[in-house]
Amino acid sequence: MTSRLAMVGAIARRPAGRAGGLIVCIVVLVAIAAPVLAPHDPLAVDLGAKLLPPSAAHWLGTDQDGRDILSRLIWGARPSLAVGLLAVVIGTLGGVTLGLTSAVIRGLWEQVAMRCMDGLASIPLLIWAIAIVGIVGVGPVQLGGWTLPNESKIVLLVGILYMPPLARVAYGAALLEARADYVKARRLQGAGLWPVMLGDVLPNSLSPVIVQATLLIAVGIVVEASLSFVGLGVEPPAPSWGNMLADARQFIYSGAWWTYVFPGLAISITVIGFNLLGDALRDTLDPRKSAGAGRLVV
Amino acid sequence: MALLEIDDLRVGFPIGGRMVEVVRGVSFTVEAGEAVGLVGESGSGKSQTALAILRLLRPPGRIVGGSVRLNGQDLTQADEPAMRRLRGGTISIVFQDALSGLNPVFPIGVQLTDVVRAHRRVSARAARDVAVETLELVGIRNAAERLGQYPHQFSGGMRQRVLIAMAVACRPRLLIADEPTTALDVTVQAQIVTLLHDLRRRLGLGLLFITHNLDLMAQICDRAIVLYGGMVMEDGPVGTLFDAPKQPYTRALVECVPRLSDRAGDLQPILGASPVPGELGDGCPFGPRCAMRLDRCATQRPPLVMWEASVPGAPDGHRVACWNPVP
Amino acid sequence: MTAPLLQLVGVGKTYPMHQAMLQRLMGRRREHQALDDVSLSVPRGGVLGLVGESGSGKSTTARIILQMEQPTAGDVRFDGTVLTGLSDAALRPYRRRMQMVFQDAGSSLNPRKTVGHLLGESLALVGVQRTQRMDRSVVLLKQVGLDSGLLNRFPHQLSGGQRQRMAIARALAVGPELLVADEPVSSLDVSLQAQIMLLLTELRDRLGLTMVFISHDLALVHHICSSVAVMHAGRIVEHGVPDEVLRNPKHDYTRRLLDAVPRRREQVRVEV
Repeated sequence: MTSRLAMVGAIARRPAGRAGGLIVCIVVLVAIAAPVLAPHDPLAVDLGAKLLPPSAAHWLGTDQDGRDILSRLIWGARPSLAVGLLAVVIGTLGGVTLGLTSAVIRGLWEQVAMRCMDGLASIPLLIWAIAIVGIVGVGPVQLGGWTLPNESKIVLLVGILYMPPLARVAYGAALLEARADYVKARRLQGAGLWPVMLGDVLPNSLSPVIVQATLLIAVGIVVEASLSFVGLGVEPPAPSWGNMLADARQFIYSGAWWTYVFPGLAISITVIGFNLLGDALRDTLDPRKSAGAGRLVV
Repeated sequence: MALLEIDDLRVGFPIGGRMVEVVRGVSFTVEAGEAVGLVGESGSGKSQTALAILRLLRPPGRIVGGSVRLNGQDLTQADEPAMRRLRGGTISIVFQDALSGLNPVFPIGVQLTDVVRAHRRVSARAARDVAVETLELVGIRNAAERLGQYPHQFSGGMRQRVLIAMAVACRPRLLIADEPTTALDVTVQAQIVTLLHDLRRRLGLGLLFITHNLDLMAQICDRAIVLYGGMVMEDGPVGTLFDAPKQPYTRALVECVPRLSDRAGDLQPILGASPVPGELGDGCPFGPRCAMRLDRCATQRPPLVMWEASVPGAPDGHRVACWNPVP
Repeated sequence: MTAPLLQLVGVGKTYPMHQAMLQRLMGRRREHQALDDVSLSVPRGGVLGLVGESGSGKSTTARIILQMEQPTAGDVRFDGTVLTGLSDAALRPYRRRMQMVFQDAGSSLNPRKTVGHLLGESLALVGVQRTQRMDRSVVLLKQVGLDSGLLNRFPHQLSGGQRQRMAIARALAVGPELLVADEPVSSLDVSLQAQIMLLLTELRDRLGLTMVFISHDLALVHHICSSVAVMHAGRIVEHGVPDEVLRNPKHDYTRRLLDAVPRRREQVRVEV
């Protein structure tokens, strides 16, 4: 659809969009291409090469077990992005469903759903994650025949807590759109409630949701890093930017700066990237979609 | 010297890498105390012209050429502090949407005294007196009591009166009214028109009345400027424009307005659509829709020339931009 | 004598107003009477003009005619059947027989759907097969004076006049007998108003449409309507043939309305 292409173009024209988009693309590509990109095995221990500063052999140096930091950094992008993206997917699916149906169906369902969202929203994200993982315990999860890594608990927990903000945003937007003339026109022609809700209200309510979701991806990355930092996230020896920081904590005053600076930068830059992209998305999507706001009045 | 002299004004918006001009060389004057109508439809550039006069264009729009002289001083070169002194003081503007023109969380009295104190060094008490006096001037009864009321406590027509009060509180020389009655009911519209008449008489106020409603404009204005596609098509006394227009667009516009006096069903539409800024070619903007177009109308833009230099009540005479004027 | 296509009999509509809890508990109710004893009748092929200012109740009347809201008194009859009180399911077959043309065409068209898609989904609602939708869409566009090349455009890519025509085409897609036009030309340029008015008259003649034309503009009503009703504060204060009502108004309000209309400065044009 030409309007989507126009949107990409508009984002590319904004410096924030270019910067954010570039960062996000790079991080995603790095995560996907990790097996090919990483020069060394991230788990390969080499006690003879402990804490080496950046050099030709190890571009970003090695950690306290002689593992190559660059390779661990590259592989560490995976859990960060996975938690960020998957949690947002769960939150969006749940939140948009609840918000959209509440705004369109209204009545008792609206009250029940939105009050539940309010309740959930009152729980602080990190505390919730720490508490639940603390109770359930750290370790792989057995689901049917599948064994999921510890991070899947985080994905689920964070995803659930992402539902309230996404539901609220979807609800607000859907309330507005459901009142629009084009919805009335469709109903007047005899269109059913569900086709109108999914075909008309939903697509027009998505813009603010997309913006919010992008910003929540950034939050998710920080959450994963935080949990891994305290040992409740990605289990060692698998690398995650958070647990790399945990390992590096002891070296902050003793000079092996490469152990904490690079993971820290990775987190910061990725978060900034998603935030910039979210900002650019918001600027592009909002004025265009509101009737007439983007047009000249002569 | 005229109160307001606009010379070859050009306003443009950078869109997609190039400068799209929405006002393409507009020139006209407003004498002190005169009521001039600026008539146009969408794409004519009338609102942008008004905003340009007060340097209120929304960025990235900006003035890209020409001059706007108020009593000889070129406003396009003035700095922002000087403009702030002028706005509300010497020139005021009243917009169409009275509800968004007033701050909903402040009583109107506060909004009025703010204007007064922004331009004059007076005490709060004195400012309040001016506010009450001005509200009475615009026909709001019980002005002193109503000073403490909020915008939502006024009806649409009353709100517009309050906006007009704010605009004339400091007795400006020129009032620009951009479609001030478009959002109002017909009966309220008539009241506002009477009010503007009244204010002109009592305050010696010059008026630039911007509208797409010809008949309404004719009730207030002595002279009118017809804009189309960002340029002046015709400029002359209102009576002449209605009875003996020289520009085919003016004639078509006057004829196409549905009126009670017409025979039922006798509608005279102008075929085609209004021009889109940025998609105008080199020729006359009305060319594609003009029944009297010549070949040169498509390639050459007609200059605005004097048709009749001296017409009673029109210091600028009667000017027309057309290669093939109405006989 | 054939029954009128549309009839409103003693329609009233009140809305509850916000009120302090204590008052409500004491049984006092504050209500806003939007419509009071409104009775109208439109014969097939007729065009009724509903004139009034803001707050007159004309938009409420439009919503009640189209069954978007239910009256609190009286009923609405369409082609002899009483629609008021019918269940949603029973109402369904009547919905496509009366359609609305909104004041703001832009907001009545989903900004994310192309012209073709919009017409297609309306045609789908009346059972037109997928294979025939394209052809029927082109026919609809031609009917309202639009080129078939516009099928792939989005509403915001159309000019104001084109959008209004498109909105009319969409309304016609389901084959209505009654068209309720709520200020269909108020947001358009003056030079386009006459165009759209002419289109509406053509459609009325060609398709045998019955119309309710709502406007604050008496001149428009004068041009297109076979009968006119003047509304004020929820009531019909005057009702009749346009020539009569507009030249010999009996009610004070009608006279005030007529006086307020700006006239051309010179005399009224001589009637030929």
